Amino acid sequence: MPRALLFFVLVTIAAVLGEGAVPTELHAGGMANGIIRGRVDVRRTTTNSDRRPTVASLGAPPERERTIPTQSVVYLQSAPRGAFEQTEPGRAIMDQRNETFVPHVLAITTGTIVDFPNSDRIYHNVFSLSKPAKFDLGRYPVGRSRAIRFDRPGIVRVFCDIHSHMNAFILVFSHPYFALTDADGHYRINNVPPGTYQVVAWNEGVTSDPKPAVVPDGNATELDFLLR
Amino acid sequence: MLAAVALLTSARTYAQLPGEPIVFGDGRVTLGGGVSATYGCAHGPGVDGCGEDLGFFNYTSYEDSLIRNFRIDLSASVKAGEHISFLTEIRTNNLETPQPYALYARIRPWRDRRFDIQIGRIPPSFGAFSRRPYPADNILIGYPLAYQYLTSLRPDALPANSDELLRMRGRGWLSSFSVGDPTPRSGLPLVNGLSWDTGVQVHAATDLVDAAVSVTTGTLTKPLVRDNNGGKQVSGRVALQPVQGLILGTSLARGPFAARDVALTAGLGTDDRSITQSAWGADVEYSRGHYLVRAETVLSAWRVPLVRQPVIDLPLRALATSIEGRYRVLPGLYGAARWDHLGFSEIQGSTVRREWEAPVTRIEAGIGYSLQHNLLLKVAYQHNDRDGGRVPTLGITAAQLVYWF
Repeated sequence: MPRALLFFVLVTIAAVLGEGAVPTELHAGGMANGIIRGRVDVRRTTTNSDRRPTVASLGAPPERERTIPTQSVVYLQSAPRGAFEQTEPGRAIMDQRNETFVPHVLAITTGTIVDFPNSDRIYHNVFSLSKPAKFDLGRYPVGRSRAIRFDRPGIVRVFCDIHSHMNAFILVFSHPYFALTDADGHYRINNVPPGTYQVVAWNEGVTSDPKPAVVPDGNATELDFLLR
Repeated sequence: MLAAVALLTSARTYAQLPGEPIVFGDGRVTLGGGVSATYGCAHGPGVDGCGEDLGFFNYTSYEDSLIRNFRIDLSASVKAGEHISFLTEIRTNNLETPQPYALYARIRPWRDRRFDIQIGRIPPSFGAFSRRPYPADNILIGYPLAYQYLTSLRPDALPANSDELLRMRGRGWLSSFSVGDPTPRSGLPLVNGLSWDTGVQVHAATDLVDAAVSVTTGTLTKPLVRDNNGGKQVSGRVALQPVQGLILGTSLARGPFAARDVALTAGLGTDDRSITQSAWGADVEYSRGHYLVRAETVLSAWRVPLVRQPVIDLPLRALATSIEGRYRVLPGLYGAARWDHLGFSEIQGSTVRREWEAPVTRIEAGIGYSLQHNLLLKVAYQHNDRDGGRVPTLGITAAQLVYWF
């Protein structure tokens, strides 16, 4: 089963099943929401893809920084009751700069509209063949932008049709309980209703085994991940 | 070939293949590659079932056809320092012995200036299609006629007079002449899109202009690794990009295309530099949104020795023009078409005056469907019309599966 589809099935099923696992005191008892935080340690040697050897070119292509994509996404596999109603679709930006999608990883909720501005002096052609969102924005010049609304949860791999080394990930969630890690791998999922959850870390298509996390009333719980 | 296609399309095999270039050696070495499997069936008068291309419309030599081909490319870039890289591409067709298609050093003297010197077996300066002959870059399956279709002219044998040349009309796949090597062999295209020349190239670019000049041992029509005559080819191209999406290019080339032996046989002594190919090219590309349009024309003029009566009217000219377009209908699905014509100048024979080669018109249309972002399936129909030769009309249906990383 493709990873994106698996992701979609797991998130959807777990979110539905998770409703029953949430304490009933959540709403009636007025318990305070808590926090899940921790660190994701990525020990894989993945790098952002380089361009293919430019054998047919008359000269060297522009220098392009090769970064190590350590940014991960941590999310609740089982979302609390009412999680689907809590999503607040907004607007996000995935820029195209120096033949790179910036950011390389975007995490959004369903219904979010993502803008893809072209900030390069060359054409780009953003497209995706992922099941949650198949689209092709065509070629457009510097200063122009096109947008796509993401209505289905799952992992969307984004590419440029002209520059095969350009790729990015958009993780679309049907609930708001997810967080991107910072440069040091730290993450923080706020406003989680008290309860027991399965938490998953994701990095560049690799997903951790779910880890249980108990969120106490109004407090934080620590949960670290190691991705190899 | 069918086994290769089955292997490539099986989900397990695809999942194990690299999806991106392989980088190692602290980022100094990058490997890329591609595999394409093409199979075509010809239809036409006298062709039963899934026939072969009996008109040799898509052959690139007597043995090799572009529509029945299994090709593996492996390319590598090695950064040897801040200013120098080595690039190579190894290719095998139909699992024959791999050949170095490209092998050169790229020198960038100033890191912040787009100025490069390339030395070795280098990409062509001439033309637009010549630098995108890869199946993944070609919107259809066939090549433009200018870059593939074999005329009757040969580098190692020449016609003694115009009657000899006229007799070979439409037989570029296996022509023979009396001056030079008498063995029948395949002829030459206007520009060889499947082989690169050896020499030095200087390239400079700004946001508006891209220019390159090369000095090479062979010619457009016959690229070489080792020189076999007394002259070099000089070729160059200038491309302008006045607005984003629009590219206007023009190219020139001139060089001796025949081997020294054939010049000696023709009585020219060592003056083989008079057996020349001169070529001019113009190209335009415009793309925006979901469509892409390209047009390219190549005018080639060959000079051959005048040996006997009736003498050949020189130069022997050929003009190839192709117009192609692509439209992305849906994500991962596009439609494409190309119109292509190859015409020739007339010469006077003993009894008739006509084109020295048989004019060819080709229309090709097809679709491309991306099974994955780096796995493309193309299906195309090609109709060929030729004013001469044993098979003047032939339709060909072909499918091509392309994978790259």
